[in-house]
Amino acid sequence: MMYEYNILPFRFDHFNEEEYLLTNDVGEFLFMKNEDFEKFVNHDLDPKSDLFMDIASKQIATTDKVEEVVKMLATKFRTKKSILRDFTSLHMVVPTLRCNSSCIYCQAKRHESSDHSADMTKKTAKNIVKCIFEGPSPYIKIEFQGGDPSVDFEMVKYIIEEAEWQNLFKKRELGFVICTNLTLLTPEMVKYLKKHKCDISTSLDGPKDLHDTNRPLQDKSLDHHEIFEKNVRMVRDIWGDADCVSALMTTSKYSLGRYKEIIDEYIRLGFNNIFLRSLNPYGFAKEYKDKVSYPIEEFIKNFKEGLDYIIEINKNGEFFVEGFAALLLKRILTPFATGFVDLQSPAGVGIAGAIYDYDGSVYVADEGRMLARFKNYYFKLGNVNENTFQEMFNGKQLHEIIKNSCNECLPGCADCVFQPYCGADPVRNYSVQGDVVGHRPTNEMCIKTKAIIRYLMEKLHEGDPETIKIFWSWIK
Amino acid sequence: MKDFKIPVTEVGNGGFQVSVDLNIYSVDAVTATCYKYTDKFYVHQQTADEKTMNIILEAKDSNATVSSETVKQFCNDLIDQQVRVLVNRDFGHIRDLIVEEAFKPVNK
Ligand code: SF4
Repeated sequence: MMYEYNILPFRFDHFNEEEYLLTNDVGEFLFMKNEDFEKFVNHDLDPKSDLFMDIASKQIATTDKVEEVVKMLATKFRTKKSILRDFTSLHMVVPTLRCNSSCIYCQAKRHESSDHSADMTKKTAKNIVKCIFEGPSPYIKIEFQGGDPSVDFEMVKYIIEEAEWQNLFKKRELGFVICTNLTLLTPEMVKYLKKHKCDISTSLDGPKDLHDTNRPLQDKSLDHHEIFEKNVRMVRDIWGDADCVSALMTTSKYSLGRYKEIIDEYIRLGFNNIFLRSLNPYGFAKEYKDKVSYPIEEFIKNFKEGLDYIIEINKNGEFFVEGFAALLLKRILTPFATGFVDLQSPAGVGIAGAIYDYDGSVYVADEGRMLARFKNYYFKLGNVNENTFQEMFNGKQLHEIIKNSCNECLPGCADCVFQPYCGADPVRNYSVQGDVVGHRPTNEMCIKTKAIIRYLMEKLHEGDPETIKIFWSWIK
Repeated sequence: MKDFKIPVTEVGNGGFQVSVDLNIYSVDAVTATCYKYTDKFYVHQQTADEKTMNIILEAKDSNATVSSETVKQFCNDLIDQQVRVLVNRDFGHIRDLIVEEAFKPVNK
């Protein structure tokens, strides 16, 4: 018997032997038995059944007027895409390429601490700030990257004060972040950062031996991890808030099999979250890649074990968040918009974040800056000393890149069941696979994201009430 | 492969050919299915006649042999892909309505 109902746009895939997973563009999801799925798509499912009610509540089908449901879905869709409204708000600035570390996975062409040839000039800094404020976003976050920006702290101060001055007239919601290995920070610097509301983001790769292997200081007589630990304490004492400093970890080949220790180290040092991040292998020479890199499947295996361990920690009463899972869960479980430059659709490159190199060159993303080191300027938008904001951020080049980075219409993504939670990374596609569109069946970012979303979906499907409660606590 | 007969034939070099009935499957569905297999296979599509398309998949790894599971999975994937095409054909326009409605405020 054929029932009268309208099927609304949805995506699907086999979830396991017995069930399908269905999702729609606004991120609703539903598991359905194979036989029910067949009935559903063949209009054989009784609209009075509980299952149909469930389907209708997720707006995957309706017995009401389609126009009414379209209105509701449109509102949700608009909310999901509301990150696009403000345009670029994250502005990464590189005051210098100088650095006192020699991280094994570093791809920035770092300069020795004494080599000033890649320091930003005041003229360039002023033009960068001017360019930033020409953007329409009511929110401006200036993030200092490097090299290590603390090596040229005077330039950091100059940019902060120039931005604050501009903001007296422009009245945006202005914030700063400095990304530093912490080792060169003095109490005076920290007091300055606190006064100017500049958050501190650092890197911590795990326990002492691992951290020092991944991120050795150039001066071999110094103990990176020891200085790090001392300075984390110093920063927190001055700030009076344990959350004033956040940390990022990068997984090198040496980190594999050690996620438990890494997580324990984060907890020991008073952090309440971690972002289990895979290495971005772009730009390494082949021999070098083999030394620090690993197959993506290894990372996925480690990520799952790490996530399970973090869930256990939470079950034992300690609040501790895995950042990537939290981001994805927010997309899966809530209607809210989540901007994440590396994983959104359209991609965040240029329209959510941009990076300004020490010489004033503007790139859509950090990897674009790395490509330029190899004389490939595909992702360079221009230079603040030569081009206007309009030329750079409303130019043909950026339009072209963004047009090719909506995963709603990329091959492989267009009908992927995980598309509503995923995104595109044209710079990564270009650098690893040779074009901005990329090839999904062999794309490591895709393989990783798919595996992790699936794993989270499995957890949600298992429905352990404690785990679900923990997930919700992460996305509040 | 022995347990798998019509319309699949082995073509040597670790490859196999599937003849797809275009009365059942659209070319879009066939192409989308083939795309999924381009990680491990070189894929060639060719229309045999109005009603048939031949797909030849040859393993990129010259040492690999094609298992019957892969072939069966290919056939199942064809069905999934065809369902996607049908759902999209019948209800895809609603997606356009949603996007249009969503961006109405900024298009005024
Ligand atoms: S990148 Fe992969 S997981 Fe993400 S939407 Fe595309 S196909 Fe799906």
